[in-house]
Amino acid sequence: MSANGLSPTGSDVEPLGGGGGAASVGAPLLEISGLRIDFHQAGNVVRAVDGLTYAVPRARTVGLIGESGCGKTVSSRAIMGLLPPSALITGSIRFEGQELVGLPERRLRELRGSQIAMVFQDPARSLNPTLRIGPQITEAIRLHSDVTKTAAHDRAVELMELVRLPAARQRFRQYPHQLSGGMRQRVMIAIALAAEPKLLIADEATTALDVTTQAQIMELLRDLQQRLGMALIMISHDLGLAASFADEVMVMYAGRGVERAPTRKLFEHVRMPYTRALLDAIPRLENASHSPLAAVAGQPPDLAHEQVGCPFSPRCPNATEKCREHAPPFQEQEPDHLWACWHPCGLERPA
Amino acid sequence: MSSTSAPLSTPLAARAGRLSRLAGSPMLRFVVRRLLAAIPVLFGVTLLTFVVMNSLPGDAAQELLGAQATPAEIHELSIKLGLDKPFLTRYGEWLHGLVTGHLGHSLSSGQSVTSILGSDLPITFELILFAFVLSLLIAVPSAILSARRPGGIFDRFSMVFSMGGLSIAPYVLALLLVWVFAVKLGILPAIGWVPPDQGLGQNIRCLILPAVSIALPLMCFYARLLRADLLEQLQGQDYVVTARAKGAGPWAVLMRHTLRNSAFGLITVIALNLGTLLGVTVIVEDIFGLPGIGHELLSAISNRDTPVVEGAVLVFALVVVLANLLADLLYSALDPRVRYGGSPN
Amino acid sequence: MAVAPTDVAVPGALEAVTGPSVGPRGRWRSRLGLWIPAGLVALIFFLCFVWPLIGPVGSPTGGNILEANLPIGSPGHVLGTDAVGNDEWARLLYGGRASLEIALAVNALGIVVGGLLGAVAAYLGGWRDATIMRFLDVFIAFPALVLALAIAEGLGPSEVHVIWALAFFSVPAFARLARAETLRIRELNFITAAGLSGTGHLRTLLRHVMPNIVAPLMTFALLGMGIIIVLEGALSFLGLGIPPPAPSWGNMISSGESTLSVTPRYVFIPSIALFITVVSFNLLGDALRSRWSQR
Repeated sequence: MSANGLSPTGSDVEPLGGGGGAASVGAPLLEISGLRIDFHQAGNVVRAVDGLTYAVPRARTVGLIGESGCGKTVSSRAIMGLLPPSALITGSIRFEGQELVGLPERRLRELRGSQIAMVFQDPARSLNPTLRIGPQITEAIRLHSDVTKTAAHDRAVELMELVRLPAARQRFRQYPHQLSGGMRQRVMIAIALAAEPKLLIADEATTALDVTTQAQIMELLRDLQQRLGMALIMISHDLGLAASFADEVMVMYAGRGVERAPTRKLFEHVRMPYTRALLDAIPRLENASHSPLAAVAGQPPDLAHEQVGCPFSPRCPNATEKCREHAPPFQEQEPDHLWACWHPCGLERPA
Repeated sequence: MSSTSAPLSTPLAARAGRLSRLAGSPMLRFVVRRLLAAIPVLFGVTLLTFVVMNSLPGDAAQELLGAQATPAEIHELSIKLGLDKPFLTRYGEWLHGLVTGHLGHSLSSGQSVTSILGSDLPITFELILFAFVLSLLIAVPSAILSARRPGGIFDRFSMVFSMGGLSIAPYVLALLLVWVFAVKLGILPAIGWVPPDQGLGQNIRCLILPAVSIALPLMCFYARLLRADLLEQLQGQDYVVTARAKGAGPWAVLMRHTLRNSAFGLITVIALNLGTLLGVTVIVEDIFGLPGIGHELLSAISNRDTPVVEGAVLVFALVVVLANLLADLLYSALDPRVRYGGSPN
Repeated sequence: MAVAPTDVAVPGALEAVTGPSVGPRGRWRSRLGLWIPAGLVALIFFLCFVWPLIGPVGSPTGGNILEANLPIGSPGHVLGTDAVGNDEWARLLYGGRASLEIALAVNALGIVVGGLLGAVAAYLGGWRDATIMRFLDVFIAFPALVLALAIAEGLGPSEVHVIWALAFFSVPAFARLARAETLRIRELNFITAAGLSGTGHLRTLLRHVMPNIVAPLMTFALLGMGIIIVLEGALSFLGLGIPPPAPSWGNMISSGESTLSVTPRYVFIPSIALFITVVSFNLLGDALRSRWSQR
């Protein structure tokens, strides 16, 4: 049994100390409140993130779940300040109490890699194809510490072994295309860990991999997180993945947070119709063969247009006139369980 | 002790291993295949030249003797020059000479074509080299500075300037330079050539204006090309985001990641340029009175001096073919994906 | 010349040369960026093709020797006269017309013949592709200058012969570009889909391939206008283009060279016209390309 109560198989995910997810030991490592991100492109304004609020406690895993375009990637890139200049960020992102929004680029660069690191989705494209693996890792090391080339080399090999890359010493001199997808992703993780960050953001880190490799990489991430006491933000569209690996889940839709709770509580008492629909869409082995998959009907809204009312209302089975006119607030409705809905699932309310 | 148990680390065995790998290497096969493919092209070029020269009115004998010559005199000279033989025979003889390493003799001067080319080529070569170095010295830093701050003052200025530089005709530029520096300021020579062994300073002075005439459009072209490539990477490629996520600053990203990758494309274009540049040198050599190969070609054509034309055309075509081959080769050689072959192990 | 058609007939190079494609452009800047060069090009065409027919433009040839070498601003000759008394303004306009006609014809030939050849070669692939490209390689490797010289010397210099000579430059260049573009889209799904649904080769080529490669070909053609005009100038400069006394910008520059130190305007008037024309075409090409690539 490991320190934070997760069992090795990950099938029982227990919330930390009686439902006190966010209010754990000490202040949270990362606190996002009221984050709003607008993109200005050729005269249009696209609101990619609209009032996102959540926190990441130390050494915990938060799963950020949503469809493509819901703002999960954009919000996480904002944490690291990796958005293009056309992005306008308002709101607050506090890392260890320090405000990141509006921080000068120099200061952000000091944080990147050494305090907060990121693993990206497509390792084939995220690694420079014309540089050998080794130098790409040592670069990450030497950007934040003044070590000799040899020391950096040894540390890089250490990291490659840490991420369970076979034949680490030989791999050092190889090029990315000589490795398989899973191995490349391990290299990306090694790069991310190089300067021992406190927070790791895994942006769809396993989406481009096959299922077996996916499981291996997730196991690796969990193992590393426990060993290094690192916090992890796990971004995915796969709710099932979150169920297995996250302590807390934040569901996003159309740039907003729509439901947030410790994992177990979320799955036991799903409140948002959207989350419910996501759950239902996961194919189940128990279902009869050839039974139709329950997909969520409709399309996510066009973020270039102002949203009136609840953004999910066009697709929601519980939607009423009230939903279409007034956007429900995102707030704590039950202990440790926040959602934004007028007609949540499983709760009897007068019509 | 059987030889099969001898370790591969013995020098001889290792060398044999390397050699056989080289012979089978895709790179060598590629080169050989391309060289073989180039032969029909060169053949076609020389044949075409011969046809063209043959179809021109008049012949070397006529040109040599001038307008006053009688038909009898012309006829006599043409027999002496071997011009009475049928077309195919002459071409065949020339080809035969080529294969045995002889390019024939000039019909006008009798000098061996090889020696003519030998004295002309270095001049043209020096001119082109000078022009390339000049253009790259300015284009590369300019592109880097532009990519560092796209849309900034330097970038905007250099974009406007390079648009102008690209749009100006080399001969116009040459004449403009002559007018400013030779006529008005009198500090550089308008025409003339001094070989390096007779004074390097003078030699360079003779080459400055012609080299700049060639270099200016080139430099604008390369600067734009490199800038576009750098920006495409900086704004579009995922590995740039990874580098930034590591905490790398903009200069580190530019130089360590994007410049390396852009270099391949640039080198390819330069190699391709090499071939087409020869056309420009003809005009520039003409304006500045440089006795290079372009100049030689011009006068040989008007003299109907077929062997010299063939020799010069062959050189031109060879350069183009080799330049194309070099471009392809460099691109594959520098791209590790090709060099180290694909399969993940 | 320094930038020959074949150098730019590579997809990446085309975008680079036709101008900055990066950075957000405000609506007004893009509008201006398109309409100013378009207006300039239209003006140039108007001046060279229409104005001489309707306006007070003299004759470019047959000048009075007594009126030779008049300076700019002389009565009746707003740009002066040349060494034999021809009106410079008229020579400029008629010379421009000749140059533009040649450039249009050469580019048209290039797009139609070269474009088709390249697209077919890439589409068919295999030995047919190799053969066509080898054949074109001969023309690329062949110093086209020699060919142009030979045509001029052999057949006599004339506008038509210049068109033929320059077509040998432009057809292989367009073919190369068309081939590269076709190769790029050949693998795309909708082409395969067309094949799977039973569309014949010719139809696929015409209805699916060609419309998609037209945009880069057109951009290249606009850039080519500038390049061909400069090339034509080069030929005329060497005395192998439009034969005097008919004017072309190239032969005007060439005949002005000998009196450069005394009357530089004979070189610079046509040079400036040449420059403005080439810049306008380049800018137009840039504007259209960034428009098309935003679709």
